[in-house]
Amino acid sequence: MYKLELEKVIEEVKNKEAKQVVVQLPDGLKNKSNEVVEHIEKNTDAKAFIWFGSCFGACDLPLGLDALNIDLIIQWGHNRFNKEDW
Amino acid sequence: MVRLALIESEYEKEIFPTKELINHLKENKIKTIALFASIQFATLDKFTEELEKEGLEIKITKAKRTNKPLQVLGCDCYSDSFAESIINDSDIILYVGDGMFHPKALLLAQIKTKIKPVLIFNPISESLEIITEKDIEKQVQKMKRNLRMFLNSESIGILVTIKPGQQYFLSAKRLKEKLESEGKKAYIFLDDSINLNNLENYPFIQSWVNTACPRIGTDDIVNFTQPIINLKEASNPITALEDLENGKS
Repeated sequence: MYKLELEKVIEEVKNKEAKQVVVQLPDGLKNKSNEVVEHIEKNTDAKAFIWFGSCFGACDLPLGLDALNIDLIIQWGHNRFNKEDW
Repeated sequence: MVRLALIESEYEKEIFPTKELINHLKENKIKTIALFASIQFATLDKFTEELEKEGLEIKITKAKRTNKPLQVLGCDCYSDSFAESIINDSDIILYVGDGMFHPKALLLAQIKTKIKPVLIFNPISESLEIITEKDIEKQVQKMKRNLRMFLNSESIGILVTIKPGQQYFLSAKRLKEKLESEGKKAYIFLDDSINLNNLENYPFIQSWVNTACPRIGTDDIVNFTQPIINLKEASNPITALEDLENGKS
């Protein structure tokens, strides 16, 4: 029902020469995460992992993944936003 | 360094207005529409074209946080969240999308004035739904109550998330100083996802200030007895309370 844009995903992984990728999907798309991981691992040399937790918005990015040598987070369902000063 | 790619997950189909939608607009003698959508449904060229053919004027603005015209985020829930005041200047607010999180932001954004209903067009089920001030009544009552309790609190807990897009650590530290200068005690609490069930572990706090997602201080509060207000209101709580009292809801 929603475009996963897997071609663009592969392009991103290749362009950024990512070796370890985390895919972060909103709850409504989490059941597609297996499909996404399989597609990335089949079409690139990168290993792909699934973020288990929340994906509330582009404001909600997992932290601390450097420790696992993750080099790319791909988040679905959101676009870039401008943080406001409060 | 971890890099980031964002995929918008756009809805696959072209969106057109249904007869039911057009009839609804005609029956209610609508002339101008303030149009909003969530990112999945924010490509509405054909939809807009069809409505314009019916003689309707479509008004579009850009919410300050978004990067796409007519897109609305859940945090665009303040009267100053939008570049232009199309909500005030239109006969009706039309939201295209599914779920209640985004259209409710459009009700909350009107809290200081008379709250116009939001007409929701769900392009998946092609159904219509109307939400009104009644749908946020409980929230608004709780927001007022929480502000009054905050003003009378001597011991304040300030909640800060480490989520980069919602992190207001500096503002929290500034607020702590301000509260302390007023003779109050203030403590800053850090977490990733803020689980409000954990509030009960800190009975020495009388009131909480949420600096993370503003919808915590407008929506989640209805389920908790502990008073929680948002950062934006905490910096000027008396004005915030007056605005709510003067609102028509």
